[in-house]
Amino acid sequence: MTLFLQTTLNGLMLGGIYALAAVGFSLIFGVIGIVNLTHGVFVIAGAYLALLFYTELGLDPLLSMLPVGALLFAVGWVYQRTIIDWAISRASVEASLVVTFGMAMILRNLLQLWFGPDVQTITPFYSFFSISLGPFRVDMVRLVALGSSMVLLLGLTLLLARTHFGRAMRAVAQQPLAAALSGLNVKRIHAMTFGVSAALAGASGAIIGIVQPFSAASEVAWTLNAFMVVVLGGVGSPAGALVGGLLLGLINSYTAQYFGPALTQAAMFLVLVLMLLLRPTGLLGNPYGESR
Amino acid sequence: MAGPVQASHLAPLLEVRGLAFDYGGVQAVQDCSFDVSNGGITALIGGNGAGKTTSVLSVSGARRARKGHIRFDGADILGLPAHEVVERGLALVPEGRLVFEQLSVHENLLIAGHTARSRRRLKDNLDYVYDRFPRLQERRQQNAGSLSGGEQQMLAIGRGLMTSPKLLILDEPSLGLSPILVSTIFRLIRDLHNDGISILLVEQNLHQALAIADYAYVLEKGRVVQSGTGHELLNDPKVKEAYLGVA
Ligand SMILES: Nc1ncnc2c1ncn2[C@@H]1O[C@H](COP(=O)(O)OP(=O)(O)OP(=O)(O)O)[C@@H](O)[C@H]1O
Ligand SMILES: [Mg+2]
Repeated sequence: MTLFLQTTLNGLMLGGIYALAAVGFSLIFGVIGIVNLTHGVFVIAGAYLALLFYTELGLDPLLSMLPVGALLFAVGWVYQRTIIDWAISRASVEASLVVTFGMAMILRNLLQLWFGPDVQTITPFYSFFSISLGPFRVDMVRLVALGSSMVLLLGLTLLLARTHFGRAMRAVAQQPLAAALSGLNVKRIHAMTFGVSAALAGASGAIIGIVQPFSAASEVAWTLNAFMVVVLGGVGSPAGALVGGLLLGLINSYTAQYFGPALTQAAMFLVLVLMLLLRPTGLLGNPYGESR
Repeated sequence: MAGPVQASHLAPLLEVRGLAFDYGGVQAVQDCSFDVSNGGITALIGGNGAGKTTSVLSVSGARRARKGHIRFDGADILGLPAHEVVERGLALVPEGRLVFEQLSVHENLLIAGHTARSRRRLKDNLDYVYDRFPRLQERRQQNAGSLSGGEQQMLAIGRGLMTSPKLLILDEPSLGLSPILVSTIFRLIRDLHNDGISILLVEQNLHQALAIADYAYVLEKGRVVQSGTGHELLNDPKVKEAYLGVA
């Protein structure tokens, strides 16, 4: 019983990070309808940037989430304004799938060139602390990671619900023509959405860096995770990402514990297929309605 | 058709000349010209597929016309994106309403009230819209998707008004509404006009549209084929035969 609860706890903690790492992917899909296969690169780029800030400046990864987020916001913005927009306006929204896939490969290789192929970790002083709660043990970094994820997800929820920019994103998602006729610069909102998405991915990368080893090659896994989270939880909302992330964390944790770590991928795909068959809109559905 | 005859001798608020638009080679609008007078109600009428919606989408910047001139309030606006046309004071209430269904009524209005042009008047505009449409006030926290068709039309008009327009273009506002609601909408159009907003009304509901229009244009196959005061067109034998179901 203790083992089961400990496994559950580990899964939920991991799930919080999955949720944060996926929420930007979900946002872009919900607002623009693009499956951004470059998403995992943003996550890993965030991890490398946090590593640089840590080794060069001694900046704690939790603090470096701010500059990392800001840098990736700019990257996301420029990416949408150039490559993504060219692909959409010259070809189609579907074409962006091929384009983002190709860009992911190029960027992965660039990361490999710059940072080398070795697996990296960020190890701040609290890396080796853990807290005991009765029979349970919680790693400090995981607790910190979960906490930061929740704070950022809550921030995004407030942004979407309470601010003009948040409302504008939701309006553009539902009804781009009416949004433009209401005075919204749809292209600008798209660029901002990419910026926010990349910033959150980068911030999650900074956290992932202290929790797990990473390399350029792991970007594929983070794109896949984001995809899974959206299928499980539903598109476009932080709440959906949280539900999907926690479920994914539990699936991984249980599978690794009871069937062996080698089977986590297989279990993920099994759940993916079942979800697509049984509830293709995810558990929480699409808050932007049937327009997409 | 030569240049349109303008009833009013004031300079028109909107001048459209030789507008042309095609959807992938299929001509939807060709050589379309009309004026909208300052302070008046102008109607654009015609059957299904005549090119009315395409014309007003082009005027509002949502479609990029291939040819022609569009002059609004003394400036050329052809080629401006839709959100910049709104900033000039031209608002289109689109065909089919297109409300933001998953946003509340209030949020729908807030979005449009946030233009650089109208932001300072946000509070006044909200009061004006809620005053005009008490129904919206009652349902302000409800999702727009849960409103009835008539209420959605009111919301779509309210959203247009939130941008503080000089010219409000309404594309088939009476479509799919019950006769009572249609009368309500036409009364509302008159009220807005009395409040000083110029109106361009796109309609298939000819009797009522021509009854309130100072001037009207008949569109057929993407061209203006006839024009005159509302009264003239109502009594025109050709219009009667083609559109009013009277031989
Ligand atoms: N998105 C589109 N793609 C291709 N063709 C279109 C599109 N929209 C309109 N058309 C065509 O352009 C022509 C003009 O259509 P438009 O919608 O402007 O007419 P309308 O006068 O508004 O008609 P209605 O009264 O039915 O709304 C029609 O032949 C129509 O089939
Ligand atoms: Mg139409």
